[in-house]
Amino acid sequence: MTESDGGTAIAIHVRNVTLSLGTSSAPVDILRGVDLDIGAGESLGILGPSGSGKSSLMAILSGLERASGGSVEVAGVDFSRLDEDELARARRGRIGIVLQSFHLLPTMTALENVAVPLELAGVDNAFDVARAELEAVGVGHRLGHYPTQLSGGEQQRVAIARALAPGPKIVFADEPTGNLDAATGSSIIDVLFDRKHAANSTLVIITHDVSLAERCDRIVEMKDGKIVADRHP
Amino acid sequence: MTKLDWKTSARIAWRDLSGGFRGLRLLFICLFLGVATLAAIGSLTASITGELSARGQTMLGGDIEIAMTQREAEADELAAMRETGELSETIRMRAMAQVADAEAAADGPQAVLSELKGVDNAYPLYGEFALEGGVLDDALSPEDIVVGQSLADRLQLAPGDPLRYGEAIFTIRDIIADEPDRVGEGFTLGPVAITSIEGLRRTGLIQPGSLYESKYRIRLAPGADPAEASDALQAQFPSAGWEFKDRDRASPGAFRFFERMGQFLTLIGLTALIIAGIGVGNGVASYLGRKRPGIATLKILGATSADIARIYAVQIGIVALCAIAVGLSMGAIATPLIVTALGDLLPVSPGISFHPVPLAIAAAYGLLIATMFVLPPLARARTEPAAALFRSLVERHNPIGIGTVLRIALAGGVIVAIALFSAREPTFSAIVMGATVGALLFLYALGWGVRTLAKRLPRPGNPTLRLAIANLHRPGSQSPAIVIALGLALTLFVTLASIQTSLTAEIQTTVPERAPDLFILDIPVAEEARFRQIVDEQAADTALNLVPTLRGTIVEFGGQRVADLEELPEGAWFLRGERGVTYSDVLPEGSELTDGEWWPADYDGPPLISLDREAAAVMGVEIGDTIVVSILGREIETEIASLREVNWDTMGFNYIMVMSPNTVRDAPHTLASTLALEGGDEADLSRAVLSAFPSVSIIEVREIIGQVTVLLGQMAAAIIAAAMVSIIAGIAVLIGAIAASNQARSYDSVIMRTLGATRRQVMLVQAIEYALLAAVLAAVALALGLLAGWSVIVLIFEFAWSPDWFVVFGTLAAGTVITLGIGLASAIPLMSVRPANALRQL
Repeated sequence: MTESDGGTAIAIHVRNVTLSLGTSSAPVDILRGVDLDIGAGESLGILGPSGSGKSSLMAILSGLERASGGSVEVAGVDFSRLDEDELARARRGRIGIVLQSFHLLPTMTALENVAVPLELAGVDNAFDVARAELEAVGVGHRLGHYPTQLSGGEQQRVAIARALAPGPKIVFADEPTGNLDAATGSSIIDVLFDRKHAANSTLVIITHDVSLAERCDRIVEMKDGKIVADRHP
Repeated sequence: MTKLDWKTSARIAWRDLSGGFRGLRLLFICLFLGVATLAAIGSLTASITGELSARGQTMLGGDIEIAMTQREAEADELAAMRETGELSETIRMRAMAQVADAEAAADGPQAVLSELKGVDNAYPLYGEFALEGGVLDDALSPEDIVVGQSLADRLQLAPGDPLRYGEAIFTIRDIIADEPDRVGEGFTLGPVAITSIEGLRRTGLIQPGSLYESKYRIRLAPGADPAEASDALQAQFPSAGWEFKDRDRASPGAFRFFERMGQFLTLIGLTALIIAGIGVGNGVASYLGRKRPGIATLKILGATSADIARIYAVQIGIVALCAIAVGLSMGAIATPLIVTALGDLLPVSPGISFHPVPLAIAAAYGLLIATMFVLPPLARARTEPAAALFRSLVERHNPIGIGTVLRIALAGGVIVAIALFSAREPTFSAIVMGATVGALLFLYALGWGVRTLAKRLPRPGNPTLRLAIANLHRPGSQSPAIVIALGLALTLFVTLASIQTSLTAEIQTTVPERAPDLFILDIPVAEEARFRQIVDEQAADTALNLVPTLRGTIVEFGGQRVADLEELPEGAWFLRGERGVTYSDVLPEGSELTDGEWWPADYDGPPLISLDREAAAVMGVEIGDTIVVSILGREIETEIASLREVNWDTMGFNYIMVMSPNTVRDAPHTLASTLALEGGDEADLSRAVLSAFPSVSIIEVREIIGQVTVLLGQMAAAIIAAAMVSIIAGIAVLIGAIAASNQARSYDSVIMRTLGATRRQVMLVQAIEYALLAAVLAAVALALGLLAGWSVIVLIFEFAWSPDWFVVFGTLAAGTVITLGIGLASAIPLMSVRPANALRQL
């Protein structure tokens, strides 16, 4: 963990990051030299239209995708030097991810879904921790239900519980309310921020909803694979 | 913590399986089919050969047997045998059973070729000689005879009726219920009749030179070793020309037949399992494809590639082990059912027994094939990047890595090692496996070729055709898998049709055209002129071929004693016991001289021999080398003067060994004759010959062809039954591939129907796609299937290649329609889904 100019600890330190997909003969440049520092405990909203590169940036910051160029340092670990398996290990217990489509494992109950990352991290009382986390996000009464038996809002609460259960220091949320109605989405964001404050974790939210971004400490705007604005709401 | 432990992996895997085994159904079905087939074939073979070994004493009629042809044992030989243990003697020969009261049997046949056997009072040393009226507990008198049911039926006789053999008339005392040493007697041409040795002598059929076989069975003292006893007797009489058998190999012919048939069927079963392996691979790839979001999610949650591999290896392993266990159980249970169904076709009736070795081999094959075909999709799944969740529509082809390739090669190597190690003929096994793998690789390459070609074709204007062609190469296209499955199924259809019709043609068309109508054996040499005269009187235009006939055993070739060989060279069947020997002044009909020269008509020098060219090659002998042949107990050293190409298909008298006349002319022998009738009545001729020469045996070719037809029919049925499993496996693979492709194209289907396409139109796209594939595959299947069929008919059976083209093409067309019909039918459930419901799932 490095420190910013203001003395705050830096959770994420990114310099000149690029990402190109497609074939070598027809490359598609997704990110074109991104520089970004995110402080520990900070909440950051990344705003931008579709295709601006915000989800790809989140994938790189969370270790789901490897950058084509530049350096990525997360919680003091240089992600650009790690392979797929090392990135997976780096995520365990340190990084939590919440996705727009929930991506719960359909063959497992809510409790089992939340227990999986804890088991992967070798936590002994995985099911006790998972139960407590589900109760904390308000779905303690749905422990034995399968994803198809849950509403969209409940599925997203389970996904949040799953991301937060291992106690990560950094949480990424990619359009967490994108598949939900306004009321449900608002309650989900409340849960996300409550849990962030309780754990004093860093929260990065990718969204094109300006009002949601404005609940964060800081907002970064992206366009055509570059950061075009960095401001406080 | 760096790696998930197996316990946690198993827990997560089991939890993930709570959704059911449905996605791994294809894996289960394919593995089950292949393992059950191999287990059934292995268990059945082990049951039969085990029973043959276990009942060795009874089948042989003793602990050891000494057989000799055209003579009985001398006094000193008998004394030595009696010193070895309790002795029983039987004499067996082919003879015509004749109705003694011709008027009483005017409607039916009056003479039937049969196996006449004389037994002494000690017979049988082991087992019970059962008659319909009870066990034979007193000796048969020289006037009594007991006959097989089929002999009584054919001559319309019953106990109490008279029956003539040669010069003797017997009274039928009873019907034989169980001849204990029947299996040990080997192949027979007719029904059996048994009398006492004295009764047999009364017939006057045992004459110097007549063909009969004397067998001496010995019961050894408890604990005595049969091999040692045989060796001791052999050492005492090294030149006696005896043939030994012992209780451990009482029926070497039957044992060899079932062992070979078992191995051949095992190879077919292994081929079915390899085909099933493709289904296993496709099923697992399809299953893991559906699990792709789950795998990516697990990776997001921190699972490494090793964790993913463990979790899904556990799932697949559970299903594979269940399939193998059920397959083994079914295979073991099927064995007694098959034994019951085959009934009298088997020489023995094995009871319910458990054979762990063939089951273990079937399980090993199943596990290894599953490993080979599961590893590639599993390796691809473990390298699935977490980012796949974001780019799920982009097709990736993850490499499987050198480690996986090495593991696959190791599993394949172990399969080949087991197959070759357990094979009696490793070269043959290697060729079959090589051909199977070659055909699979060829079809795999063809599948990719079709896909690439479809990609490069110009886009047709017709939207249905355009969609059909696009389906051949679209991302997620199952074309290669469908090409392999459909190609294999059609190839097998063509193979079976060409084999079946060639066998039928061989029996029904080719044989009668070239075969004579009658074989007549044991004609006295001195009566040749009279015999010719009778034939001429009965049927003047008959093509008559008369040859002298003796029996001889090759005891030494090129300085090598046959008895000293640890194992006979491959293809040296003629070194196993006695073979026919003849002599001739001129090159026999149906033979072609390939090397050396034929001896002059008045040749009077040292003994010369002419050998079949192939037999000489098997023994590794050439012109000028020596061959020692034992005839009537006398060893004759001959020099190879010439080699001949023998045309075995003529069904005439074809001899491996032809000697110069001066060598054996004076030995007691008889003549054998073939007769091809041009007009004249076969029955009248037989009656006339038989009344003039009561000692001759008349064999109707129709009878032989009937027996051969039944035998070939049974073999063909066994091959087809085993090959059907391959076809079923092929169809299972096809359905699996089509199901996987249906998944990939369900999106298109729903969108098209949303836009107004009817279900018929959507089905038509699929039908055109499969029809295009079938058009390419029909030609390929025809070529591959005919090549396989030709190999079996020409190289294995050594028959003429004469498939019925109408049946072959008809089978190919019907097979295409049936397999495509099954494939399209599997798409119907997709069509019945309402677009609105499906859209919610997309």
